[in-house]
Amino acid sequence: MVKGQRKPIDEITGALEKYSNVLNIGCGGCVSVCLAGGQKEVNLLNAELESIYKQNNISKKIEGFTVERQCNMQYLDELDDIAGGYDCLMSMACGAGVQYLAEKFPGKPVFPAINTVAIGIDREIGIYEEKCRACGECVLGYTGGICPVTRCAKGLFNGPCGGTNKGKCEISNDISCAWQDIYERLKGQNRLDDILKIKEPMEWKNQTQRTIIQEPYMKRYT
Amino acid sequence: MNEQKIVEIDTVKIKKRLKQRKAKMKMSLSVCARCTLCADSCFLFNNNNKDPKYMPSYKFINSIGRIYKRRGKVDRAALEKIREIVWKDCVLCTRCYCPFGIDIPDMIAFARSICREQGVYPTFED
Repeated sequence: MVKGQRKPIDEITGALEKYSNVLNIGCGGCVSVCLAGGQKEVNLLNAELESIYKQNNISKKIEGFTVERQCNMQYLDELDDIAGGYDCLMSMACGAGVQYLAEKFPGKPVFPAINTVAIGIDREIGIYEEKCRACGECVLGYTGGICPVTRCAKGLFNGPCGGTNKGKCEISNDISCAWQDIYERLKGQNRLDDILKIKEPMEWKNQTQRTIIQEPYMKRYT
Repeated sequence: MNEQKIVEIDTVKIKKRLKQRKAKMKMSLSVCARCTLCADSCFLFNNNNKDPKYMPSYKFINSIGRIYKRRGKVDRAALEKIREIVWKDCVLCTRCYCPFGIDIPDMIAFARSICREQGVYPTFED
């Protein structure tokens, strides 16, 4: 799932400086699971903002509302009767949700309250680890289920590089070499042939906006 | 709307929300023939030994249906029970299919919205 982290409070207050009537919109999807932008986090951020404004004698109205998913117009429609009453909107969704919200209300300034960080997994409650960069050219089948784009500092498709040292990456002794781990994993599965296959350079498709149409829907949308 | 500490349920507010979407809700609840055809389109139903509690029709009748039937006069315990249905038993994947055209995900999302307004929602920290 998408993982996010709340922005520093100074950045948030800075963005809202010119506005006196703010609606903070949470998302009940991924960011709510990673405890960054769900209803509880909306309430916490609003309480923090209210306290800051009160301490500084600033008159500002901050309210909250959480929709089920900001990446789906069906759920954003719930804001139709609400959003009009505010100077600006603040979104606690991922970057996709923020953009869809801004697209729905083009006349309203929309500010993100969280940084979208990664596609990742839940190690523990509150600890999340990046696992995928959505590069669009998945090679996990040949790398023993370890992503070289995410894990290798150089994102190498063919590794390891000369910087690997006793299983650690040259950028830090705390970071294990992704390609060493790939080697060990493939060795354990008796699949070392895979590491010898040269992978073609990546077509960096993610430099332009991608749209995904699933095969059964091709006829309908193309 | 910052309702984290609300203790009492605001039934007047619930009633007002129900009124806003009364026509669609009333039609959806009366059109449902309990045919159970929607069950096959639910991956949770199929992956939980076809437990009837995962049937989309069961979920919407026992969430928003229950709130509507009681005209919004529900207490916290009832909403907490509904919370289990609309969040734990449904991921709102919106893939459920009703041959009569009932928009089941919309009904479940509406139940979630009412629960949220009353401060009843999952925190993902349990």
